[in-house]
Amino acid sequence: MNRQKISWLAALALLISPLVANAAGKVAVITPYLAQPGTQFYVEGFEAAAKDYEWDVNVIDTQGDVAAVISRIEDAVTQQVDAIVINVDPAQIAAGLAAASDAGIPVVGMDSGSDPMLVTNITSNGYAMAAETTSYVVNRLNGTGKVVMFVFDAFPPVQARGVIADAIFANTPDIEVIERITPDVQDGGIADSRAQMEALLAANPDEGSINAVWAAWDQPALGALQAIEAADRGDEGIVIVGMDANPQARDAIKAGGNFEASMAQDFMGIGSTAASVVARVLSGEDIKVPVIYVPTKLITQSNVDQ
Amino acid sequence: MATLRSVGTLAGFIAIIATFWVLLPETFITPRNLLNVSQQISMLAVVAFTMTIVMAMNDFDLSVGSLASLSGVVAAVLFTHDVSIPLAITAALLVGLAGGLLNGWLVSYIGILPFVATLGTLTIYSGAAFLVSGGKTVFGRDIPAAFGGFSRNGIPLDTLGLEKLKIPSLSILALLVLLGTWYLLEKRIFGRHLYVIGNNKEAAHVAGIKVKRLKLIAFALTGLGASIAGLMLASRVASANPTQGAGLMLDAIAAVFLGMSLHRSGEPHVLATLVGVLMLGLLDNGLTQLSVDSYFREILVGVILLIAVGFSALSNKNN
Repeated sequence: MNRQKISWLAALALLISPLVANAAGKVAVITPYLAQPGTQFYVEGFEAAAKDYEWDVNVIDTQGDVAAVISRIEDAVTQQVDAIVINVDPAQIAAGLAAASDAGIPVVGMDSGSDPMLVTNITSNGYAMAAETTSYVVNRLNGTGKVVMFVFDAFPPVQARGVIADAIFANTPDIEVIERITPDVQDGGIADSRAQMEALLAANPDEGSINAVWAAWDQPALGALQAIEAADRGDEGIVIVGMDANPQARDAIKAGGNFEASMAQDFMGIGSTAASVVARVLSGEDIKVPVIYVPTKLITQSNVDQ
Repeated sequence: MATLRSVGTLAGFIAIIATFWVLLPETFITPRNLLNVSQQISMLAVVAFTMTIVMAMNDFDLSVGSLASLSGVVAAVLFTHDVSIPLAITAALLVGLAGGLLNGWLVSYIGILPFVATLGTLTIYSGAAFLVSGGKTVFGRDIPAAFGGFSRNGIPLDTLGLEKLKIPSLSILALLVLLGTWYLLEKRIFGRHLYVIGNNKEAAHVAGIKVKRLKLIAFALTGLGASIAGLMLASRVASANPTQGAGLMLDAIAAVFLGMSLHRSGEPHVLATLVGVLMLGLLDNGLTQLSVDSYFREILVGVILLIAVGFSALSNKNN
């Protein structure tokens, strides 16, 4: 019986062995968030590019477990991989980053936040994204009109977007920001934004008293759209812009109503750029910038389907 | 046939080690890697060791994972209010103890089945963890450097000729919990009584064993263990969020079952639990090093658990 059991295990070992690849460059991609759509695109983009470099890529999903990311980084270090790519907040995995750093193994971040122990972090530029949607509003209004802003200054990445919008609106003399609203986001951000917008519409009943809504992300833009449509003021030409181009926002833009524009991050591009950065590091290049931005795209009705 | 059980799983354990050793001759059985593994499994080990205490009575505790999360979050939130490290740790341990006492009270004094009682408290503790943290991760400057630093320190082994290596603090902590649990279960009358309860509750009553009180204490110790593990976890990631302990519960129960299949009597014993924990930890480590798909590891763990427990069941039948 013991022998039978051992043969079972031998069979298991045989089962594993073909799964063990044997390529020249070994790269471990470690994330707790593979179940999330954004992360899946990063990883897909990375894997597609890695194929060209003929690396052996091992994607490790710790299924939400951040402590396990540290353990798996330690294992990858022991395994002597050539590089590690992460998609997780570096502040929470300092122990793992230290292990990689001690072993001289480069770690590249995919939209993970900056950290001195990372070679670099590849992400989208929130400042640039905000500049695009704000310029869109200014141009659509021909530089004149009353604007409602939806912001969220408590969350640094979103706060950065608001700062740029503030600057551009302030630099346009005939644009007046009549309200700067911070919605309650506990319900996801749509419902409270809608309620706040309804109140504003009631307070400004005349056509032309509100010309545009600038939202720092898509949910408030969608809430404002619902409020405008519910108040039957959809034909006043109020221009709404959001950011992130989530599926619901894309549907609204496609429908051709007030919601006119949003910004799409290039998730696949973040992944493929991470791969090219790894290739540069492996060829001995010293990456000097701690953050590398991947271009984002303004989404309007004309390109929403692409 | 009785020896089969005691040797079968052990043979499997050795086979796993041998397989990895052959496939990874240079990086698997090395002091550095083994010290790494000892640190990686330390949190699971503490939960599994203390889980063994209630499982000795044939009970189990589903709430350990959420209790670990809750304890970590309590300490972290106290840190944000500038509470000192010793005070925050004490508070978190008291939360674990209280959570365990509630489990024990529900099971022994109210008489709810452990599965149902601890399923209920699992939800309560998890909700409490979200409530205390506001659903957010507490990290960064809010966590004192000394708290996060603990898990990165250890006893240096330079004097043994192992340059730059150290026995991780977390591993030492797990070892202390192992020793404490082993002493309680194997060397004290307390432990012997738990096994008597596990074998036959009625007989335990008749023999004059204070079943209710012992159950209360056993669950309290399991809760305390969960909070220790929760704090270790929070230190390792220098942060705390309301779900980070969730994965511990099923792995801990699996480790105890693996250990039970190792023991001749089919009873859970803490040294056998250690073998179960090591099996799970070495599998994670070895399969990662072999670049095996992380989802495949889960299937493999399930298969190994079923094989081990299946062999025990078969040998029982043959007896």
